[in-house]
Amino acid sequence: MAVITVPDGHAHDDGPDQLYVETRELRLQGFLLFLVSDVVLFCSFIFAYLYLRNSGQGWPPAGISRLDVAFAAFNSMVLFGSGCTMHYALENWKHNNFNKYVACMVATIILGVTFLGGQGYEYTTLMLKDHVTWSGSGIFGASFFTLTGMHGFHVAVGVIYLSIILLQSIHGTYTKDKYFGLTAGTLYWHFVDVIWVVLFSIFYLI
Amino acid sequence: MHFDWVLIERTVAAVGSVIVFVVAAVALKNDWKTPGIENQVFKIMLALLAIGGIVAFLAGIDVLGRFAGAA
Repeated sequence: MAVITVPDGHAHDDGPDQLYVETRELRLQGFLLFLVSDVVLFCSFIFAYLYLRNSGQGWPPAGISRLDVAFAAFNSMVLFGSGCTMHYALENWKHNNFNKYVACMVATIILGVTFLGGQGYEYTTLMLKDHVTWSGSGIFGASFFTLTGMHGFHVAVGVIYLSIILLQSIHGTYTKDKYFGLTAGTLYWHFVDVIWVVLFSIFYLI
Repeated sequence: MHFDWVLIERTVAAVGSVIVFVVAAVALKNDWKTPGIENQVFKIMLALLAIGGIVAFLAGIDVLGRFAGAA
């Protein structure tokens, strides 16, 4: 283990633990910057959608029925519920409750997959029953499938990410003091939750 | 047997969103005084999650979204 001398003359341990402490803030800032860039990406599409929606002849265009608010509310609740379980997964990890942590992580992953299944059901219904498609239904279809699809992609990535974190934590990659991956996973999952609050509101409620 | 799926979806959404709101509000209260950048972000996220619970509840009880997208 390398030992360096800092200017005040004291010996300074430069081992992996110290490296973790020194780089944690940088990694956190980097991850937050990534989330901000994702916010910018979603905002660009959201404002484009709102602009196009308000420049048309009515919304949705004639011939397209209104979206299923009841099912979307149910599916939203599933995703928001996963945000709660993810938060308590992190809390249980911090408080050394490993079994509860695993239970909360598994619940989060299951709820995330359920949300994706619900979105798949909604897409199938829209395409087969209402004949709304990404390329064949004008601005409505393009904006709806692009934004919700982009969000769904983020949820799918999050499910994979959380599954990897769960496996890593079971195999002892994280400790009580070193769990940045878990913090980042929780931040990411909250982010996809919050984005859905906006998408749910603008597509189904206004 | 005939199920009113819309009613079931709305009921589950309304009840679930109340639970989500309470859990998010309690977590926000517990984390209120925690320092650090990530905890500040967590607080914002939890507050928005609580708002999401309210929105989903209002949609579940058919207060919001009644006139949305009327063709």
